[in-house]
Amino acid sequence: MSTKLSYTLVITGAPWASQAPQTALAFARAAVSAGHRLDRVFLYGEGVHLASSLCAPPSDEPHWPQQWSDFLSDNQIPGVACVASALRRGLVDEREQNRYQLPAHNLRSPFEIAGLGEWVDGTLKSDRVLYFHGSA
Amino acid sequence: MTTLIVIDQAPYGSWAGREALDMVFSLAAFDQPAALLFMGNGVNWLRTAQNAKGIGQKTVEKNLSAAPLFGVEKIFAEHEACKRFMPDTNSRLADIELVASVKDLITRYDHVVFAG
Repeated sequence: MSTKLSYTLVITGAPWASQAPQTALAFARAAVSAGHRLDRVFLYGEGVHLASSLCAPPSDEPHWPQQWSDFLSDNQIPGVACVASALRRGLVDEREQNRYQLPAHNLRSPFEIAGLGEWVDGTLKSDRVLYFHGSA
Repeated sequence: MTTLIVIDQAPYGSWAGREALDMVFSLAAFDQPAALLFMGNGVNWLRTAQNAKGIGQKTVEKNLSAAPLFGVEKIFAEHEACKRFMPDTNSRLADIELVASVKDLITRYDHVVFAG
C-alpha cells in the first residue's frame, strides 16, 4: 500500500494570466482521487484573483474560479486568500468591505480571507507544500 | 523546520518580491527559522543608496533592513550575480553572506520557496 500524504497548495498565478490555477486543480483532483489529503489551498499574490465571484468568462470557456470553488466545496477543503494580497487587488469579503467602507464585496464561497499565518501553519503541518506560480 | 525564501527577480518591477519578503517576516513572527536568498537579477535588491521616489514607492532597502529586527536569521546572496551587478562591494548592503553554490545552500533547508 502506498503512503498517503497531506498537502498544502499555494497558488500565486492568476487565472487567465497564467496556467497556475488550472495546473493546481489538475494536481488537486489527482491527489484526492489517489487518497491523499489536501489540508488547505492558499491563494497568494496574483493568485487571489481565483477567489473572485465577479469573473464571468464566455460560457464555452473554462471558469477556473467556479471549478475551484466546486472542487473545494465537494471535498470540504479550506480555501484561503491572503488578506494583504487580496486587499491590494480588490478582493474583499463583507467584513473587509465594512472595515474599509468599500462599495461591494466579491469573495467567492467557500473561500475565506485570512493572514499568512495560515500558510505558515501549512508549512508546519502538511507533509508537502506545493507552489503553483505564474510567469516569473 | 527551516525555510529559505528565494528572490530571483529585480526589485520594483512587480510586487512579487515584496510579497515574498512578507512571507519570510511572517515565518519569523511565528518563530520559525527563515532565511532569504537573493540570486540572479534579485541581487539588485541589495544595492545601497536606492531611491524609488521617482516611481512613488518606498525603497526595498528599507523593507530589507527590517529583516534582522523581525528575526530573519540570515540574508544570502549569490556571489556570481553580485560580481556581475555590483562589482564594487561598497555599493551593496553589509551583513550579507555570499554563497558560491546556490545548489549547496538549498539542500541545507527543509523548505525552499521561490518568489511567485
